[in-house]
Amino acid sequence: MELMKLEIVTPTGVIFDAEVRQVTLPGSEGEFGVLPKHATLVSLLDTGVIVISKTDGSELAVAINAGYVKVDEEKTTCIVDGAVSLSGEDGDIAKALEEAKKLIKSTEASSSAIAAAVSKVEQIGKSY
Amino acid sequence: MANLKEIKRKIGSVKNTQKTTKAMKLVSSAKLKRTEELAKRSKIYAAKLTELLSEIAQKMHQNNVGGLDTIYFREVLNPKVVDIIFITADKGLCGGFNAQTIKRVNQLIARYKAENVTVRLRAVGRKGIDYYRFNTIELSDQVVGLSAAPDFEQAAAFISEIASSYAKGETDKIVLVHNGYVSMITQEIREDQILPIDPSKLSLDTVSTSELEVEPDDDDTLLEALVKRYVEYTMYYSLIDSLAAEHSARMQAMDAASTNAKEMVKELTVKYNKARQESITTELIEIISGMESMK
Repeated sequence: MELMKLEIVTPTGVIFDAEVRQVTLPGSEGEFGVLPKHATLVSLLDTGVIVISKTDGSELAVAINAGYVKVDEEKTTCIVDGAVSLSGEDGDIAKALEEAKKLIKSTEASSSAIAAAVSKVEQIGKSY
Repeated sequence: MANLKEIKRKIGSVKNTQKTTKAMKLVSSAKLKRTEELAKRSKIYAAKLTELLSEIAQKMHQNNVGGLDTIYFREVLNPKVVDIIFITADKGLCGGFNAQTIKRVNQLIARYKAENVTVRLRAVGRKGIDYYRFNTIELSDQVVGLSAAPDFEQAAAFISEIASSYAKGETDKIVLVHNGYVSMITQEIREDQILPIDPSKLSLDTVSTSELEVEPDDDDTLLEALVKRYVEYTMYYSLIDSLAAEHSARMQAMDAASTNAKEMVKELTVKYNKARQESITTELIEIISGMESMK
């Protein structure tokens, strides 16, 4: 299985930096997936959820408000303003979900984008 | 005898001051650690953002579509209006920290005045505002509280107003002056040109051979969004940098004050002992001479 590097940077620090199989990003022109060896691309990111497919096949979701992504063949770098990791590992998934919803609602994005993002967060919450 | 009492009182008062300065030093060093950590983490974000901005600008430059020629990068040769933003602390007791910044701002004003440029001053922090109010120099904008607790939203709101004024052509240049953090014992005055962005600051030599796809397709939208974010973030980062410098300056000042107080207590104690002995000697002489006269 081919892997690529993914880095998520927020103003408060690097929140994710590891090898991944695939990542799905909420681009401003629509959601798109990135696999290793993707052509170089720069895109604006909208309010939404980044879904990371980790090396062991499990998925990790990170809710973001807005930002940019730069993709090249080996590495994907997401520069976002705010992010909340929706991981079940820390046990307190309910709290993370609440925080994610708050983050999403605090943005200036259109109401439909917010609604879509919130419903996605809720869907992820149910899967735990 | 009154002299003895007075010296004793003085020693007590100096000791009290010493307690205060020591406590302030401890508080500042704790705060400095926290701010330093914040600065370190924000630096990564700032570096990535600059990298991305450079790449986009360069790509547009190669394709000859705006990019470095847009208003955000083009240097105005004969600026008519310049905005100077400066950051000072809200509080004093930090040595020459605020005075240094103000001195540099005054130098800048003098330089621009000589070139017949209108200068608009925008102050962050109470100390700077107080200084210019006292000297009856007009400030276009002022914020209190932001330098003590940097907040991204507030910083962004403050700078975007100025940036939009730049975009409208009301000002030709935006300069930010602040006292930056170098190490625990040194601060350095930094003077950054926020807009237009100095292309030499962007690492333009990293030539990427691969074709760069951009989404949304409209390059200008992306560049504009990036520039806006870059400017906002520079402002925010400068605030953090300034805060770290403020704490380190205060730490130093308070350390010096504590040492001085210690020295003073030592001197006063010597003086006190001397005065005490003197009074004892006088008393002895009085008793002895009294006895002599009775013989």
